[in-house]
Amino acid sequence: MNSLRSRLGFGLIASLIVMIGLLWLMVGQSVKVLLEQQMASRLAHDGEALLGGMRIDVDGRVLLQERRIQGIYQQPYSGHYFQVDAGGQATRSRSLWDAKLPIPDVAAGETRIGYVTGPQQQPLLFWAHGYQKQGRVVHIAVAEDLLTLNAGFAQFRWQLAAWSLAMVLLLLLIQQYIVIRSLRPVSAAAADIERLEQGEISTLSEQVPKEVRPLVQAINRLLDRQRQRLHRSREALGNLAHTIKTPLTLLQQLAREKVAGADPATYEQLEHYSRQINERVNQSLRRARLAGDGLGAGRFDLRQDLPVLVDTLHRLHRERRITLHTQLNGIITLPLEQQDGMELLGNLLDNAWKWAGSSVSLTLSGPEPLTLIVEDDGPGVDAAAMQSLAQRGVRQDENLPGHGIGLSIVRNLVDEIGGDIAFSASESLGGLQVKIHLGRRT
Amino acid sequence: MRLLLAEDDPELSARLGRYLGRQGFAVDSCTDGVETEFSGREIAYDVIVLDLGLPKRPGLEVLANWRKAGVKTPVLILTARDTWQEKVQGLQQGADDYLTKPFNEEELLARLQALIRRNTGTVGETLSINDWVLDEATQSVSREGERWELTGIEFRLLRYFMLHPGRILSKSRLTEHVYQQDADKDSNVIEVYVNRLRQKLGNEVITTKRGQGYVFGKPPP
Repeated sequence: MNSLRSRLGFGLIASLIVMIGLLWLMVGQSVKVLLEQQMASRLAHDGEALLGGMRIDVDGRVLLQERRIQGIYQQPYSGHYFQVDAGGQATRSRSLWDAKLPIPDVAAGETRIGYVTGPQQQPLLFWAHGYQKQGRVVHIAVAEDLLTLNAGFAQFRWQLAAWSLAMVLLLLLIQQYIVIRSLRPVSAAAADIERLEQGEISTLSEQVPKEVRPLVQAINRLLDRQRQRLHRSREALGNLAHTIKTPLTLLQQLAREKVAGADPATYEQLEHYSRQINERVNQSLRRARLAGDGLGAGRFDLRQDLPVLVDTLHRLHRERRITLHTQLNGIITLPLEQQDGMELLGNLLDNAWKWAGSSVSLTLSGPEPLTLIVEDDGPGVDAAAMQSLAQRGVRQDENLPGHGIGLSIVRNLVDEIGGDIAFSASESLGGLQVKIHLGRRT
Repeated sequence: MRLLLAEDDPELSARLGRYLGRQGFAVDSCTDGVETEFSGREIAYDVIVLDLGLPKRPGLEVLANWRKAGVKTPVLILTARDTWQEKVQGLQQGADDYLTKPFNEEELLARLQALIRRNTGTVGETLSINDWVLDEATQSVSREGERWELTGIEFRLLRYFMLHPGRILSKSRLTEHVYQQDADKDSNVIEVYVNRLRQKLGNEVITTKRGQGYVFGKPPP
């Protein structure tokens, strides 16, 4: 039960059923008690009427005035019975016929109310009282059949149960509505997180209930800190590049100026090593700059970032009149952080730009997996170089002929980002085709 | 050609300044962003070499401020920062080219010359006006098979004339574009050099427009 909704729902259902059940029992019991009290007080009236209309002869026999006895007590097994006992022979209502009710005698001045089994085995409610009359103790007991009352009461209980059930259902509906309604902001936050992972948004909306807000704010703070850290580390890497590259430039220039003429072999070596330093540094910096999954860092947006990149390429290679054919197939973002995407596409397209005759094409398909194909109409790459590029971990300083270094940068980037890269001859344009699958890492 | 070199490393700046000077540029050097922004705004340079990692004010900000203020001088960014994000930012802020360190001096020169040619509307690798062909590598000029060696100042002056053929160029404008900031700005010196060019190449190569300046080739009607 790890769903808030089912947890709340279950708790509410259970408490409702217990509550309504208790209510049903209590109401039923109270009604029964009330009805029986009413019946008992009626019986008491009848008993007192009997007392008023009776006489006791010297033998202790009880004489009743017939006219003061209600008709119902005269019909056999009518369900209304009495018996009067003044110490001698007991007098019973005609309705009892020959039966005798096993009602115990009650002391004078005392009342007893209870249940007894009637002449036809039906349950009866009795009222019994002991009176002092003409110096004798008179026991009067009046009883009434409970069957009708019980039947009515049972019907009432059923009705009450039906109403209670209806009420439970209605309350459940209302509760479900309330639960869904109150959990809606939580679902919205969950949807927000999904969009965050897709890179559609970079912060979660804080328009959420008070209870969830600390959580959302904590996530936002975390994202913000992560972004700042990324920014700072990229800044630091840029500065590091600056501090390394300037002396490296000087080193190369000094070598060219002072050594190249005098000792060409040493110059070759100096040149080779300094180029190696540069490329190793570049490779490490490039790797360190990658944001990785870049949660909340903003994705490479093909609608915004691609046109700017293409414009930059046109400006950088102004003398080359290259036409770029793009086919995005409805794909809006790359599953890459914006700068990572810029670096990958920048290197990829720049390379194509350098080698193309007049056209470069960029084709995207996906989204799962996202495939990126860049083709050009240049001279292409020979089979040996392609094979060398296809191996993982090819070092950038192993200067490859033709496309060479640009492609090994791309290859390393793809390895770091997590994807596959394949090189082949372009069928449509005749030059090189680079195909990249970007796996979304989860 | 007057060039602003904004580079914070004093050694690199000095070397590069000397190299570009030998290549016929009048080089002014700046080592911080604020000074660079001021100079670029106040002086009509022909081209600017801008490092992004300048102290006091980042290069990108300097560049953005220039473009906002309407400074149209071509700018080449020369930086150690080589990510595509930074290239894109640099060019979108209005830079015209981007070269990353470590770089080759010859490549920088070639790119600067391409920028200047593009900016002045001249096409082609060598500068060639009215049969006059200026060779930037040897700092010489030739016409119909005949060649003349030029001194540094002569070369700068002739190149400036050839990049603006048919236009009247005042003495003060020529002084600005041929000399470095700290050089002696006596405009009479221009007269001396114009005369030297005339002695070498013939009187008709530069026409005097009295009270206005000089014109390379045919004067405008």
